[in-house]
Amino acid sequence: MNEAKKNPPSASTALRPHLTYPLSFRTIPEALEAAPASEPFVTMWKCEEEVQTVTFGEFRALVSGQAGFLRRHGVIPGDTVILVMPQGITLMAVFAAAMHLGAIPTILAYPNCKVDPSKYRYGLSGVSANLKARLIVVDDAFPEQLRAHLSVGDRCNLTETRADLQPPQTPITSAHLNPDRIAFIQHSSGTTGLQKGVALSHAAVLRQISHLATALHVTSEDRIYSWLPLYHDMGLIACFILPLICHLPVVMQSPTDWVVQPGTMMHMISKYRCTLAWIPNFTLQFLARRVRPEDRSQYDLSSLRMLINCSEPVRAASMDEFLIAYRPCHLHPHVLQSSYAMAETIFAATQSGWNGHPDPGRLWVDAGVLRKKHLARPVAPDAPGAICLVSSGACLPGTQIHIVSETGDHLPSGNVGEIVIHSNAMLDGYYNRPDLTANALREGSYWSGDLGFELDGELYVIGRKKDLIIVGGENIYPQDIEEIISRHPSIHDGRTIAIGVYNSNLGTQEIIAVAEVNDDKDLKCAIQIERDLKMSIKVELAIAVRAIYLKPPKWIVKSTAGKPARSTTHEKLLSEHPELSVDTQGEFDS
Amino acid sequence: MTPEARQMIEYIVKEVIRRPGTQIDENTPLVSSGLIDSMSQVDILLKLEDLTHTRIPAGKVQAKDMDTVELMLAIAHRVGKPRL
Repeated sequence: MNEAKKNPPSASTALRPHLTYPLSFRTIPEALEAAPASEPFVTMWKCEEEVQTVTFGEFRALVSGQAGFLRRHGVIPGDTVILVMPQGITLMAVFAAAMHLGAIPTILAYPNCKVDPSKYRYGLSGVSANLKARLIVVDDAFPEQLRAHLSVGDRCNLTETRADLQPPQTPITSAHLNPDRIAFIQHSSGTTGLQKGVALSHAAVLRQISHLATALHVTSEDRIYSWLPLYHDMGLIACFILPLICHLPVVMQSPTDWVVQPGTMMHMISKYRCTLAWIPNFTLQFLARRVRPEDRSQYDLSSLRMLINCSEPVRAASMDEFLIAYRPCHLHPHVLQSSYAMAETIFAATQSGWNGHPDPGRLWVDAGVLRKKHLARPVAPDAPGAICLVSSGACLPGTQIHIVSETGDHLPSGNVGEIVIHSNAMLDGYYNRPDLTANALREGSYWSGDLGFELDGELYVIGRKKDLIIVGGENIYPQDIEEIISRHPSIHDGRTIAIGVYNSNLGTQEIIAVAEVNDDKDLKCAIQIERDLKMSIKVELAIAVRAIYLKPPKWIVKSTAGKPARSTTHEKLLSEHPELSVDTQGEFDS
Repeated sequence: MTPEARQMIEYIVKEVIRRPGTQIDENTPLVSSGLIDSMSQVDILLKLEDLTHTRIPAGKVQAKDMDTVELMLAIAHRVGKPRL
C-alpha cells in the first residue's frame, strides 16, 4: 500500500496555499521565526468573558522569556525537560522555548489536585528517571502538597514558571540546532508505568507536517479548533505543531472543560469559523447525544471542512449519528474524515479524503469470516452477520504500509494482518529504551501491533494485537492497572486482569478489572476494597475504572505458563456477568 | 438533605456508577476518587440542569465544580439561568 496520488483540490481547497509543501524549514524554531508577527496564533477560550489570544509575534516574545528562564535554570542542549502544566499558552511557550534552546521537552498530564503525594511522586519519579530529566517545570497553581513531596533525583530539579517573563536582553539564537537531533518526546500512552517516550527529530516532524498539510490541502484560510490534551499526539502535533509550522491560528480549550460541556466545541467552531478539527471517535456520539437539540440549532458549522476521526476504531454508526444530529447546522457534505495516527509515526500515517474518494471508504463484510478466517469478505449491507467497517484513508506522502502475517509474510489485499509502516516521518526510537526500540523498529519499519487490512488503496484498522485499552482516544496499558490492583494487601499478587469493554452509549471503551482475593473472607469487604482500588488507580493513572470484580482464590484462568489467561478469563467474566456483554454490540476487534 | 440532592445521588448511583451496594453522600468525591469517569460529568450536568430547572452557560462550569453533589448543586444555583 503506497502513498496516494494527490487529489486535485476541491472547491474549499482551491485557495492558494501560503506555504509551499514540502516545507523548506530546517527546524521547528526556524518555522516559528518565519511566522508573520501580527497574525493570530493561539486563542485560549475559557468562557465568553475569558478569552486570551496571542499573535505569532507575541508568542515568540513569550518563548524568548521562557528560554531565558530555562537557561537560568541550567538547561543546555540535549537536556530533557518535563512540563507538568495546565493546557494553555504558557505551556506551549515553555515547550517551544525548550526546543529553541536545543533541549528536549515533553508534556505530562496535569495532576488532579487530590492526588496522593507519595503515589504521584512514585509515578513522576519513574518517568523522570527513564527520561533522565534535567528539569521539571510546573505552574504557580501546581498543588502545594505535591510540590513539597517532589524530590526527583540529584540531577533533576523542580521549578515553577510564570506567564509574564521578560525576554533576555541578549536574544538566544536557535540557529545552531541540528535538524536531525531530537526535537521533543511525546508519549505513546497516557499512563506512567509502561510509558514509552517517542523521540522525534526536527526533520522528521517537519516532513510529517509537510505530508499532512499536503493531504489536507492546508491553506492560509484554515483555522484549527482543539480541545485535545497537549500530552497526546493528536493535540500536540495536529493542533499545536502543525499550526505553528504552517502559520495557522488555533482556537483551544481545556479538555477538562470541554468534557463537562461538549457543546462548547460547536459554539467555538461556529463563532471563530474554524475549518479543521481532530477528534477520537467517541466525540461524535458525545456531541450527538449530550448536546441538547435546542443548543445544536444555534450552531453554524458551515466553515468546518474536515472533522477528522482518529485514535480509536472509526465507527460508521457514530459518524451517522453525528451527521443526523448536526445536519441542520450547515455541515460540509464531506466533513467527516478519518486518519490512522499514532505517536510513533509522529501523528498520521494515513488520511482519508485526498485519494480520489471524497469520504472514508465504507465496507460491509461478513463478521464471522473476519474473526475466524481473518479475511474481509464483502457482503451486502443487509446480509446476515454483516458489519460495516470504515477506512482510515490512504497513505500520506512518504509512507508505505504493509499488512504482514504472523510469520512475517506480506499479505494480499483483504487479508487481516499486522499493520507495518515505513515512512520518512517516524520516531527515532523510544527514548532510553533500546529494548523497546529494537522490538518495534525492524529494518526501518514500525511494527504497530495493530490489526487491519488494505482494500482499494485504503487502510481498514480493525483492532489491536496488543491488549491495549483505548478510552476516549487515550491508550491505556492494562498492566498499569493490574500492577496497582496487585499491590493491595487483600489481592493475590499477580492474579488480576484489566480489560476494555465497549460502551455503546459512550462510544468508547470502559475499563473493567477482575482480581482474586487472598482469602474468601476478604470478599465480605469487596465494596470497600473496590472503592480503595478505584481511588488508587485514579490518583496514580488519572483514569477511572468502571468496575472491579473481586473473586475467590483460583477463579482466574491460568495459561500453561501459570500466568492469568487474559482472553479466557475475559470470556469467563462475561459469562458470569452478562450485563457486561450488553454494551459490547458494535465491537469488532478480533 | 434536600430533595434535589437526594435525586442527584439516586441518579448517580443508579445510572452512572451502576455498581450495586455503592453508597455516596453529598460530599463524596466522584471524579477525583475514581468513582466515576470524567466523561460521565456531562450526563450528570444535564441531569443537574433538569433537576434545578436551570441552564448553565457555556464555560461557566469546570470539572472541580462537579466533584460532589453539594458542589454541583451550588454551581447550578450560582451560575444557572432559569430555564424558559
